[in-house]
This record gives sequence, C-alpha cells and structure tokens, in this order.
Amino acid sequence: MDQKAILDHQFVAAAYIITWVIQLGYLAWLALKWRAQKRR
Amino acid sequence: MKKLVTGLYVAVTVALLAWGFYQAIYVAPVDAMQGESYRIIFYHVPSASVAFLFFAVSLGGSIAYLAWRRSRPDWAQAGDAWALAGAEVGVVFCTVVLITGPIWGRRAWGIWWTWDARLTTTLVLWLIYVSYLLLRRFAAGPQMQTLAAVLGIFGALDVPIVYMSNRWWRTQHPAPVFGGDSGSGMDPAMASVLLWNMLAWMLWGLLILGLRYRVERKRQGLDASEAQAALN
Repeated sequence: MDQKAILDHQFVAAAYIITWVIQLGYLAWLALKWRAQKRR
Repeated sequence: MKKLVTGLYVAVTVALLAWGFYQAIYVAPVDAMQGESYRIIFYHVPSASVAFLFFAVSLGGSIAYLAWRRSRPDWAQAGDAWALAGAEVGVVFCTVVLITGPIWGRRAWGIWWTWDARLTTTLVLWLIYVSYLLLRRFAAGPQMQTLAAVLGIFGALDVPIVYMSNRWWRTQHPAPVFGGDSGSGMDPAMASVLLWNMLAWMLWGLLILGLRYRVERKRQGLDASEAQAALN
C-alpha cells in the first residue's frame, strides 16, 4: 500500500472513530440520566 | 411485546450499521480523484440528513408547545419534550458533521476549515441549537419553555439556508450529492452505499431520539409530582 493510501485510511479511521465515540458517549450519558431518574 | 419490538428494532439497527460500515469500507469503489478518503462521506452526509430531520422535529415540538401551552398543557409538555429531544440529538449529529467534514477537508483541500457559505451556515446552526440547550439548562422560571420554543423556531429557519447554501452560492464545499444540478451526483455503486448508511443512521437516530424523549417525559412527570407534593 502506498503512502497516500495509508494516509487516506488514517483520515477515514479518525472520522469513523470520532463519530462512534460521540454517538456512544451520548448514549452512555443518556443511560446515566435514565438511571438517575429511576432513583429519584 | 413492547420489549420484543424494541429488541428487534435495536437488532435491526445494529445489523444495518454493521452492514453500512462493511459496505463503506470494503464494497464502495475507490474514488478516482480522491482515493480512499472520500469514504468519510458515508458517515458525514447521513449525519447531516439526520440532524436536519431532528431539527425539524424540534421545530414541530416548539410550535406544538406554543400552540397548546394554555389550552392543552399535557400536549404542550409532550411537544416541549419532542422539541428538546430533537434539538439535543440534532446537535449530536451536527457535531459529527462539523468534525468529520474538516477531517475530510484537510485531506482533500489541505485545510481544516474555510468560511464558505455551507460550512459557516452549518456552524451557525450548531451554535443556535447549543444556545437553545444552554438556555434550557441554565434559565429558570415559567417563561423558559416559551423562550426556548421561540428560539427553536428561529433556529430551524437556518436549516433550509444550510441545505440550499451550496445551490445558491458558489462554495468550496462539494456540490449536492442528491438533488443538485446536472453536474452533481455520484456513481450508483457509491450512492447505494450512502443510502444504506443513511437508513442505518436514521434508525439509530430515531432510537436515541425516542430514548431522549422518554427521559424528558419522565423528568417532567417527576417534577410535576414533586411540585404537587410540596403544595400538599
């Protein structure tokens, strides 16, 4: 694999990983909020 | 029965997300001009579509709240919960758009950001809805929901401007993938992958939108019972 393709893959991987971190992070925050309300 | 339907929905959503990922990385052909980096579009464009849809949900909820706040308080509270859920989940997806876009831009253009019409109007949209969420978080008193609803309605006015920005003005941002003029569009092999990912992210978005709505309705119910208990 040439240098350009490797760099392209790194950018794609960064975008996909950040997307999942944001989405799963928000889901985890929602789950915590849900649990806190159940305890009220 | 409800649990079964929810479980089935979650399973289909996860399967579609996995399928969309597989298609985006392994099936979609390499772009002749951009190489591999264009694959960011398979997460970027669906996130933008879902964000627009959820800001529209927020608009509907805000209008419902203002219309029914005196005549039907229960309906108005439900509208307010939809408005909040739509705005919050919309901001999550819009954040993804504002991060994945510059990552792609850095590779394709050599810069992270440029103040062109599409990027700037999207940033303004994000800022308006972040303001909406901050208003809801820090303002108190009976007028808060009304003020938030008005801001939610004005914020939604930016959505068609963002959508039309690269049609109305010359932008550095690429031409529209769907619904553009004769020079726009994409290869059918890439378009089908984009549509799979749009479907998958839409289902995921609806899942967390529904969850956020339920959390807010529960909070409204608890606040109302606590207020009632304080009066007794």
